[in-house]
Amino acid sequence: MYRSLIYVAAVTQMREPTFLILTALAGGPRHGYGIIQEVTTLSAARVTLLPGTLYTALDRLTAQGLVEPDREEVVDGRLRRYYRLTSTGLDALRTETARLRQLTAAAETRLRALRPRTA
Amino acid sequence: MSLARRYRRLLLAYPRAYRRERGDEILGLLLDGAPAGRTRPTLREAANLVRAGLRCRLGRPASRTVGVWAVLAALICGLFTGALAARTAWETSRPQPDRAEFTAVFTEAFPGHRLNDDVSTAPALFVIYGQPLSRASLRSLLLGDGGEYEEGAAGGSATGPMPTPEAQTLATAQQRLRAAGWQVYEPTSEVLQTCADPRCDPASQPVETVLVARRGDTVLRATFDDPRSFGSYLGVALQRAAPPAVLPVAVLAGLAGGALAWLVFAWASRRTEGRRRAPLLLGVTLFFWWVPVLLATSSLARHHLDEPHPSWHPLWEWLGQPTLSLFFLVGLASALVLLLTALTPRRDLQPLTV
Repeated sequence: MYRSLIYVAAVTQMREPTFLILTALAGGPRHGYGIIQEVTTLSAARVTLLPGTLYTALDRLTAQGLVEPDREEVVDGRLRRYYRLTSTGLDALRTETARLRQLTAAAETRLRALRPRTA
Repeated sequence: MSLARRYRRLLLAYPRAYRRERGDEILGLLLDGAPAGRTRPTLREAANLVRAGLRCRLGRPASRTVGVWAVLAALICGLFTGALAARTAWETSRPQPDRAEFTAVFTEAFPGHRLNDDVSTAPALFVIYGQPLSRASLRSLLLGDGGEYEEGAAGGSATGPMPTPEAQTLATAQQRLRAAGWQVYEPTSEVLQTCADPRCDPASQPVETVLVARRGDTVLRATFDDPRSFGSYLGVALQRAAPPAVLPVAVLAGLAGGALAWLVFAWASRRTEGRRRAPLLLGVTLFFWWVPVLLATSSLARHHLDEPHPSWHPLWEWLGQPTLSLFFLVGLASALVLLLTALTPRRDLQPLTV
């Protein structure tokens, strides 16, 4: 019950960085630096996550059950922990994507209708 | 110092258990993201890490409001600490004016006016019912009569008929006070509403005029009233302004108190995660601590705008203390129960991170 309430809150109040992190992880497990790079790419460099912000978000998403640790590896003496989407996280991303698609479609319809009048 | 070491220092903003679990991982990410040749974290990076670390200390990662509660708790604790320190710093003040000093100032400002014999002086910087705070009066202070705790003053009034009209007396006083080195503020007048009946003629209502002046650490307040209502046409009070040490001491102590409160709040927040009565206790604490602040601040702000204040009212009065000390005590009791709850070991203790 509690978990589902958190899930509902996460889906209905998803902010852009959260959406981008989940989208980054939809491509497969990634470590922190990989997520930052992927978010930068996905947003065409409009959103640049700082490490503190990323880990605050990862902690929240983990507590909400949307993300979970995958594996660890050490590269050049540096610890890298990978994260992956959970099935709940995948559902949340699908729901948010559908919501954004519906909004985009509605906006496009209005804009199409506007064009002849402004021409 | 290497970049890694500087990053590690910034990671001290995170709680120890979290650093043990994730410190190396975050450090690895920071080093991965740092361009070659960088020797120091950027300011933006540092601020972001400290902010995230302080947020992390609060636990409850899914909560979007815990930060607001922490700020409210830290702020009120900082204000209380600052107020306590301000009271301590007041001890650097000279004693309140004695009879000789009062008489000299009265004679200086109001020549030709007769000073009544019953000049009162304060036995301490702050008094309750005209007496220094003692163990016996502590009960009154804490249990309902806190509003009687106020700054002491030397006070007296003129006796006999007014030798010159009020306007002339006022002008002479301003002139003589300025000549004696006092900073004289513009007098303020207020019509006293002594008649509630709307048919009363406003012009017949008594007018109270207040003259305020300051010289060094001493503030003079002369009040011109209708002698038929107040027994004297002129009342004068002399008291000390806040000594210079009060402001810096209060600010420093307030910052330290706020920081300590944040850490204690964070510890209690992590320890009480999932315990249902913790938010209730926190709500009670903050309600009983903040309500007096809101009431007192709005009232004092209006009062400050009404007449000049060369020396502001002490910080604790802005916090509604000790006037509403019962509110403070209820809040304190609730805070102590909350801390005791946090001290109680949890049965369902889980690691901080997955």
